[in-house]
Amino acid sequence: MLGNCMSKVMELRRKEGESHTVPSNGKHKAHDNGRMIELRDVYKLYKTKSGDFPALKGIDLNIEQGEFVAVIGKSGAGKSTLVNLITGIDVPSSGEIIVDGFPVHNQNEDQKARWRGLNLGVVFQFFQLLPSLNLIENITIPMDFCSTYPSKERKARALHLLDQVGIAEHAYKIPSKISGGQQQRVAIARAMANDPGIIVADEPTGNLDSRTAGEIFELFSSFVDQGKTLLVVSHNKDIGPLATRVIEIADGEILNGNQKKISALEI
Amino acid sequence: MVLQARWSKILKDIWGNKSRSLLVIFSIAVGVAAVGMINNAARIIQRDLYSEYGAGNPALLQIYVSPFDKHLAKAVEDMREVESAQAMRVVGASISGADGQWDDVGLHVVQDYDDIQMDKYIPVSGSAKPAIREILLEGQSADLLGLHVGDVVAVEMPDERRYNLTVAGVVHDVYVMPFALLGEATGYVSMETLDWMGEAPYFNRLDIIVADGKNDKEHIIEVGGLARDRIIEPAGFSVAKIQIPGFGSDPGEHWAQSQIKGFILILQIMSVLAMFLSAGLVINTVSAILSQQIKQIGILRSVGAQRKQLIGMYVFNVLAFGILAVMIAIPVGLLGAWWLVDFAASFLNFTVNQIDLPLSVLLIQLGLGILMPVGVALVPILSGTRISVYDAIYQYGLGAESENGLVERLFGKMRILAPEVILALRNTFRKKGRLVFTLITLTLAGAMFVAVFSTRESLNVQINQVERYIEFDALLRLPGGRSKNAVEREALRIEGVSVAEGWGSVIGVILRDDDTESAEFEIVGLPFETSTIDPLLNEGEWLQGEGLNQIVVNEDLLDEEPDIRVGDEIVLEVGDKQRPFEVVGIASKHLSGPRIYMDYGDFERFSGRNNQVDEIRVIADPHMISSPSTQDEIAEQLEERFTNARLDPGSASTRHAFYGNITDTFDIILIILIVMAVLLAIVGGLGLTGTMGMNVLERTREIGVLRAVGASNFSVRQVVVIEGVVVGLLSWILGGILSGPSSWALAGAVINTTLETGLRLRYSFLGLFIWLVIVLLIGVVSSLAPARSATRLRVRDVLDYE
Ligand SMILES: Nc1ncnc2c1ncn2[C@@H]1O[C@H](COP(=O)(O)OP(=O)(O)O)[C@@H](O)[C@H]1O
Ligand SMILES: [Mg+2]
Repeated sequence: MLGNCMSKVMELRRKEGESHTVPSNGKHKAHDNGRMIELRDVYKLYKTKSGDFPALKGIDLNIEQGEFVAVIGKSGAGKSTLVNLITGIDVPSSGEIIVDGFPVHNQNEDQKARWRGLNLGVVFQFFQLLPSLNLIENITIPMDFCSTYPSKERKARALHLLDQVGIAEHAYKIPSKISGGQQQRVAIARAMANDPGIIVADEPTGNLDSRTAGEIFELFSSFVDQGKTLLVVSHNKDIGPLATRVIEIADGEILNGNQKKISALEI
Repeated sequence: MVLQARWSKILKDIWGNKSRSLLVIFSIAVGVAAVGMINNAARIIQRDLYSEYGAGNPALLQIYVSPFDKHLAKAVEDMREVESAQAMRVVGASISGADGQWDDVGLHVVQDYDDIQMDKYIPVSGSAKPAIREILLEGQSADLLGLHVGDVVAVEMPDERRYNLTVAGVVHDVYVMPFALLGEATGYVSMETLDWMGEAPYFNRLDIIVADGKNDKEHIIEVGGLARDRIIEPAGFSVAKIQIPGFGSDPGEHWAQSQIKGFILILQIMSVLAMFLSAGLVINTVSAILSQQIKQIGILRSVGAQRKQLIGMYVFNVLAFGILAVMIAIPVGLLGAWWLVDFAASFLNFTVNQIDLPLSVLLIQLGLGILMPVGVALVPILSGTRISVYDAIYQYGLGAESENGLVERLFGKMRILAPEVILALRNTFRKKGRLVFTLITLTLAGAMFVAVFSTRESLNVQINQVERYIEFDALLRLPGGRSKNAVEREALRIEGVSVAEGWGSVIGVILRDDDTESAEFEIVGLPFETSTIDPLLNEGEWLQGEGLNQIVVNEDLLDEEPDIRVGDEIVLEVGDKQRPFEVVGIASKHLSGPRIYMDYGDFERFSGRNNQVDEIRVIADPHMISSPSTQDEIAEQLEERFTNARLDPGSASTRHAFYGNITDTFDIILIILIVMAVLLAIVGGLGLTGTMGMNVLERTREIGVLRAVGASNFSVRQVVVIEGVVVGLLSWILGGILSGPSSWALAGAVINTTLETGLRLRYSFLGLFIWLVIVLLIGVVSSLAPARSATRLRVRDVLDYE
């Protein structure tokens, strides 16, 4: 069963031909038209005791490759719901979600896990590192699951990523021995482990002080230069200037989808 | 080779949760070690004991005959049905050990030491054949007596004359009852030596190996009957008894084979039970690990883990537990087997060739230690990895479990209870799966514990039955029969003896209604108003008088002839005489084997043995049992008097000696059983400790809230301890219910194998009560450590826990 699903994913990738060849390092090339994230009339209803609660009401959204999109909005607006649908962590009640050509809305958990491992890095508010593993191992674990990079190279790559996020000297510590900001850096390095095209983060600085938050945002914007597409939910105003686009959500609807749209190069 | 991150995670989790890991490893190891120990020991015992037994050409039948010479043996051997027959003599005497202590010794005389036909001993050192004034000693006897080849040893005959014999050799004889077990040493002398020591030189036992049908019990007994009817009795000898050697063994089998088999079976059942308990513990722990790691599972999934990979990780985890467990369990099991075999070898007096670990036992251990845990853990692993990423990351810990179950609502209503108690009770019922497993473990342990106690009490009932049954102080056997009047007169001359009863005994059969014959039974003739026994009557009444042709049969006889009822008239046959008797009562079991009692007058007329008795039983004070020393004194005087009066007695025995032998053997069995029960209790306790630890971990937030609202260390601890005690109490109730059937099964099995008799169950309420105390202790002790770690949690940790 499982093997079957796996091969389906592989088949899917093969069908997409040239634009989706998987190099040995698992890297996923972008669409020809450059469209990375596409939501069509997406609804999400939560079942509650007092009936169905609509958290998202008919979202339409397009995000191009290389965009750094900031999602803002009041608490309870539906930001996390939106992000979880895009990462495939949650499923929409209706509508279509295509991420880098992959129809997230109608895949099973294993297919989505595999796809996420290869093409999409997720960063959570509470870091979500594995407490028993040291930083290197926390970063190599996605490579391990997706068999990207030869196993001998993984450690070197992890060290390289740790160096990129600026905490290489703590490589052999376990997460509880470093600060929250450092832990989030590790989480970001882990999201980069398989060199995915997209990074999605839900309130990555929600648990950090503002100075640290600024550093994390800087880190994110440096990924834009590497051609990554970023979608970051945040309360923090500091993200505004760094993002190429800011989307505001209120009551499950996008208020200003195209309010600010600037090229990454302009920043 | 670099260890991949996911395996590294599992190994680090194992290492990081040392106590939990050790708990699982240890509980798997206990079961695996027990299985290895018991199966390997059973194999070695069977291999070495039975092969040693079979190698010496075991006698299949023993016929006790009035004094005869070797020509009778030759005549019996000439029978077509008989392969070989060998005359034997066994005389009871005393021997002085190296420390000057006197012990009983059975002096054996084999017909022809140059050509021993059966029950062949193995020479160990010195000579293999005793010359005149020499003795060979059985190895264990020599060891325990501290005697060596070349020593001169004093032997005292029943007539109190002493003779010095030279220990010419030491031999190993697996066919005699071991000194360690019976308290009687074994020596071998020649007939000339026996003659020199003042004993009449005759044989009194004929050992036989049949020509065909060596495994056919019926046939062998039949051949014995033929030998008696065609050769022995026509030649003018009388037969006292025809028997297959051993205690209910089949022909050619070691004398304790059925006991050994039964005992091994009981141990095997217990080891399987221990295995079940550890399987339960594995399931419990693995589901706890998984539910504790739900969030981590979600994270792994969010970074690309397939379910297959997650399953692989947790299977690897359990494999690691299993491998570590067998690494401990295999050597421990081997050591245990060594201990058990050594114990059995010293007990049963056989030679252990080699303690080894065969592939079969190794494979069983590997299978149980590695595959079994993985197999049972698959259940929680498969269900635990099925969760979606969303549920794993966002829903966990948000009260996903229903708080509105029946039990919870019930507790909500119990306002009278303190809030700590309600909280504890609610905790207990929240994780129902885990509660069930913990309960099963402790319940099984409890049921087994109480069963061991019930077995003990049932054995005691059985022994007490014997105790109350035996009312005599001393008994003297009179092989071949003596005059009743002379014997009783002589016995009453002993100072202090106030009652002397002569008993006659013959072997007879019951003629069934369909004209078939029953097996041979002992028929005893005793005064109907006997005061040397006090049989308990299950049904009917005791013999009412003389000349009434009444009989009382015992329950053992009923086991073999189940159709007999009180009021029946049955026809008995002794020799060629037949006579109907009325069954007036059924006496309970008291280890005598099947028996038919009749009044001595009736016995005399029926058997035609006028005024002949085969044993004399005496009592000093009819109102009480005398002290052991008085009993010994009376026994000694009996032997002395009878010897002086040329009444040529056999050996005397006393009530306390008889009784003591039985209880010693039972004590050993009970000790082994109690060890097993304690092991089960330990595994149960480990299970509860694990459960409590996991419960505390999972309730971290709740405990944090308790702390935040100012709960003292004491009340936090109280919540946890109450929970442990509640689980203990619950398991006690369930174990109590289950202990009925388990007691019945265990006591039945033990009594059946050791006593070869049916069960009269006595349920042990004492055991139930002791288990209550133990289970409460387990409840408290196993929750103390988790309770302590609960009080160590700070509010901040609890917030971090999210
Ligand atoms: N599992 C759920 N069940 C019911 N309602 C939910 C669930 N998750 C979120 N919601 C509701 O959906 C709305 C949007 O939630 P969320 O996407 O988490 O908001 P945000 O991240 O913008 O704060 C909120 O009103 C929230 O209460
Ligand atoms: Mg949110």
